[in-house]
Amino acid sequence: MLSRTSLKLLFAFALLLTITACRSVPKSTLDGPVTRTLTDDAGRRVSLPFKVDRVISLAPNLTEIVFAVGGGAQLVGRTSYCDFPPEAKSVAEVSDTLHPSLERVIALKPQVVLISTASQLEVFTQQLQNQNIAVFVTDPHDLDGVFRSIEQVGEILGKKEQAATLVQTLRRRVNAVEQAVKQEQPVRVFYQLSAEPLYTAGRGSFVTDLMRRAGAISVTADLPGDWPKYSSESALAARPDAIILPTGGSMGSGNSAVTEALRQSPAALQGRVYKINDDHLVRPGPRAIDGLEEMARALHPDAFK
Amino acid sequence: MSAPARQNRVTLRKTVISCVLLAVTLLLAVVLMSLVGSEPLPVRASLCALASFGSTTCGLTPDQFDILFQIRLPRILLAAAVGGSLATAGAGYQALLRNPLAEPYLLGISNGAAVGTMIALVFFGANEWTRPLFAFTGALLATLAVYRLARGRAGATPERLILAGVIVTTFLSSVIVFVTTLMDATRIRSFTFWLLGDLSGTTKTMLPVAITIAVAGALTLTLNARSLNLLMLGERDAFDLGVEVGRVRIVVFLVASLLVGSSVAASGSVGYVGLVVPHLARLSLGSDNRISIPAAALGGAVFVIVADTLARTVIAPRELPVGAITALIGAPLFIYLLKRA
Repeated sequence: MLSRTSLKLLFAFALLLTITACRSVPKSTLDGPVTRTLTDDAGRRVSLPFKVDRVISLAPNLTEIVFAVGGGAQLVGRTSYCDFPPEAKSVAEVSDTLHPSLERVIALKPQVVLISTASQLEVFTQQLQNQNIAVFVTDPHDLDGVFRSIEQVGEILGKKEQAATLVQTLRRRVNAVEQAVKQEQPVRVFYQLSAEPLYTAGRGSFVTDLMRRAGAISVTADLPGDWPKYSSESALAARPDAIILPTGGSMGSGNSAVTEALRQSPAALQGRVYKINDDHLVRPGPRAIDGLEEMARALHPDAFK
Repeated sequence: MSAPARQNRVTLRKTVISCVLLAVTLLLAVVLMSLVGSEPLPVRASLCALASFGSTTCGLTPDQFDILFQIRLPRILLAAAVGGSLATAGAGYQALLRNPLAEPYLLGISNGAAVGTMIALVFFGANEWTRPLFAFTGALLATLAVYRLARGRAGATPERLILAGVIVTTFLSSVIVFVTTLMDATRIRSFTFWLLGDLSGTTKTMLPVAITIAVAGALTLTLNARSLNLLMLGERDAFDLGVEVGRVRIVVFLVASLLVGSSVAASGSVGYVGLVVPHLARLSLGSDNRISIPAAALGGAVFVIVADTLARTVIAPRELPVGAITALIGAPLFIYLLKRA
């Protein structure tokens, strides 16, 4: 009776699974007791060890923040997109942002994993928590959110002072830009994230805030979502005075041409198309301030003479 | 006058009448849907400008004129070409394979074309002209694979064909996943949108290719419609009645693959068009391919124009992929058709 035998086997296997499942209660990788909790941008209360010296970053902006607050030595894993600062490249890779290798992450024995694309990594987050690895989510929607990320990462890594100093310096640069463009007439800009299909920055994107501070008004500032797909005819009808193309960084030569619909638009014909390093505009980290300065200088050259 | 000759004449008249009616509907769809979009345009001035084929602005501002003639109209014409191509290809497959469920999307042929296009883009940096060639090759290979797999010892039963389609579809889907992972992150997003069927990337260079292939393909299959009618009796009987079965099969495979290839290269995999439209054509006009193939071609054009108008207006100024709309309309309609049959 093959079927009965296989049924028995199946039952035995199921039993074995249950037993091992019960036995594999996650072994704590933490040294000492959990001494603090922090609330992350997803509203989760995250328990963290007091001293963190092994952290993995699953987003290029977080890797940049870790290094900028002086925590580079604590970084034990990063994604394939984390290419800045150059030192980051010597840190072990755990695949890309959306498909991190769980095995490799666990093998690196991190105490904390920093992530930014929380909604797409729910299952992954759960698996890490089962392994007693803390997951901290950052999700900035404006420049203040970026500063908060820097302070949070600083606090996690025990680099609170460095983070505070960094934020202070960055804020000063932001203020300088805002002062410079204060008297200028705001420029109505269209932010072209990609040409085909046409994607732009919406209400929830931190770039929309960045543009506002650079003395610009994004024509898509009220569009729901972070990076919505946008209608070509609406882009044309919005009559932007200028077009911003994030390109030249990780994008390479991608997105370096204005979308066909806007090629005959006043902004394009008057040469008011500005290419800004995409790494400074799509990564909500310290270099976003570089992006802010670059945008402001491009849009209001007179204000920076 | 002999009876068959009279019947032929009746068929011809029926074909001409239904095609003229559908062509008028298509023209109406092109004009009316040109008036709808995320940006409101003045109706009277737009109609006037359309009637003059863009030679006068009729008081439209330069922006409005550009929206109408540079963005909206090309997209609508491409939608027509894609819809016509897919519906014709579907009608062709259904007649040749004697299977009402044969459809480029469900048989994995669209996926074949998608893989071809992706390989063209990722490894060869192909442009608007070479992309359809790669897509055509992919579609043709997928068609041959499905056809081979479907032919069992007992011949190609409808069930076997669909199973073969499922296998080819899933296999090619994993190839697509594989190629996407090789792509850099900045392009993945646009590809996922394209894979669902998207017409927003319409460029004017695509249009002449897509329209030429759609028209030539529909004409070729219509000219072979008599043979396809006889083929529906079974390949043996058709052969005995003087149909060059081998030649017709090659023609339909090549033409249908070219049609699917060009539409996928232009707009990704827009599903269900090749299923729903030929079905509706046969339901309303009968199963004579001389009528149903040209009717499907025109009807498919109307169907995708309307679906894409929904895609670009329901959440305007944001957009949906048109493939989501055709599937939303197509799948329930198909279930209804199945239950009625």
